[in-house]
Amino acid sequence: MRGFWLGLFVAILSPAVGLAGQAPDDDPRVRALGFGDFNYLVTERDRQEGFRMGQMVGHVIADIDERFTFFGEVSLTARDDKYSIEVERANVRFDFADEFKISVGRFHTPIGYWNTAFHHGSWLQTSVARPEMIKFGSRFIPTHFVGLIAEGGLPTTPLGLGYSVGIGNGRAANIARAGDAGDVNDRRAWVARVRSRPISIVGLEFGATFYSDRLLAPDLSEANERIYALHAVLDRDAPEILAEYAHVTHDPVTGSANFPGSDAYYVQFGYRLQGRLRSLKPYVRVEQVVVPSGDDVFAPLTLNYDGVVVGIRYDPGVFLALRLEYRYEQFEGLEKTNSLYAQASFVLSGS
Amino acid sequence: MIGAAGPMVSTVDAQTTEAVAIVVHPEVAIDDLSFDDLRSIFLAERQHWQDRSRITLLVRAAIAPERDLILTEIYGMSEDRYRQYWIAKMFRSEVASGPKIVFSTDMLRDLVTVIPGSIGFVPVSEVGSDLKVIRIDGMLPGDEGYPLN
Repeated sequence: MRGFWLGLFVAILSPAVGLAGQAPDDDPRVRALGFGDFNYLVTERDRQEGFRMGQMVGHVIADIDERFTFFGEVSLTARDDKYSIEVERANVRFDFADEFKISVGRFHTPIGYWNTAFHHGSWLQTSVARPEMIKFGSRFIPTHFVGLIAEGGLPTTPLGLGYSVGIGNGRAANIARAGDAGDVNDRRAWVARVRSRPISIVGLEFGATFYSDRLLAPDLSEANERIYALHAVLDRDAPEILAEYAHVTHDPVTGSANFPGSDAYYVQFGYRLQGRLRSLKPYVRVEQVVVPSGDDVFAPLTLNYDGVVVGIRYDPGVFLALRLEYRYEQFEGLEKTNSLYAQASFVLSGS
Repeated sequence: MIGAAGPMVSTVDAQTTEAVAIVVHPEVAIDDLSFDDLRSIFLAERQHWQDRSRITLLVRAAIAPERDLILTEIYGMSEDRYRQYWIAKMFRSEVASGPKIVFSTDMLRDLVTVIPGSIGFVPVSEVGSDLKVIRIDGMLPGDEGYPLN
């Protein structure tokens, strides 16, 4: 079964890679990761309950040569009537040095932490799903980015400073999507993120991001979007602390009105138990999305949200995680609801 | 590549784990690393030597006592967390692959002398004249204060 999924994902991606099966015997040049999850849902929300297929994600990395690397990612997502296939990432990177690498293609937008650290890799994260501000199909944060990204760092400095700077198409007319087929206007989006990973504390990272774009509001007028994001994480098992905050402003291109900004944050705390219970990792997350009525881009999308998530992750083996998660949530315009999720997620790796 | 499932708990045993020497390809133009530099290399935060050549990390397969020492002292991780770390690194497009896994000291000795830019570790008793050992914070294995004793 494991071989089937890996084979499927590599087969999907291999036309783009062009290298599958051509690796020299002594050094396989195409590597694959597969992520997947299966879920069971009981909820007071107006959603279908029962067993739910999660996403199946194939990730391929290919050394084109010593300095060129291809990264590709394809997802299969269960719908009511079919599976949808999506190219999540496809980019080629040239490594000049640790201080400077440049890539072109489709990326996870380097805003904050979770979006690039976990994203479709559900097995990697502690909880069942992402926070609402960067959820699947997020409209609050543009989760994908098509364009050019330069990145690098100063790994030999005690603070482990790093950066990502990108220019791209920004959001599409449907603001949940990236502009895969071109920009919707003549103003490119750009993003800049700086972060610090102090080498003396593995897993610790602080960062700040600025993102700017011009987009189409639901009334088809144009607005300038700016996102200011901060993150502070200790991404380890005991304890795990993840915190992100984002402030988004939308200002009309015509006129002088300055609309109030929208805010979102989450704070997640987890702790892997010790000794005989070390397979267990309880966690809790508090999160909120606040969109004022004056935000002409976000307000019509009813994004306001309050949520508390409590769960436990159980790792019966290295590459399998089982989770049981309770959520107490309130979506905009709806009553507070209780939900219970059970999930099995896994990762496959191979060459 | 990340290997098969292993024990859930790291098994460093001070009684049976001897000091570990850090060895590099003979043409790597470096004789001394700070412990932080060494950690940044093993964490793949640093992936190139100063001459911009790529660093190839060689790591013993699970069960080797010296691997447990490296996981404890450099990574500060359990075996499980170590594997998750490298999968996450690849998923985040921060590396093209995990460390090359070597299954014996002899295999490591062979590879570190033929792969340009490679770095690995061996028990100090296995160090021969064919290996280039580098100092950590100015110290060699056995010196008082050497971090991988």
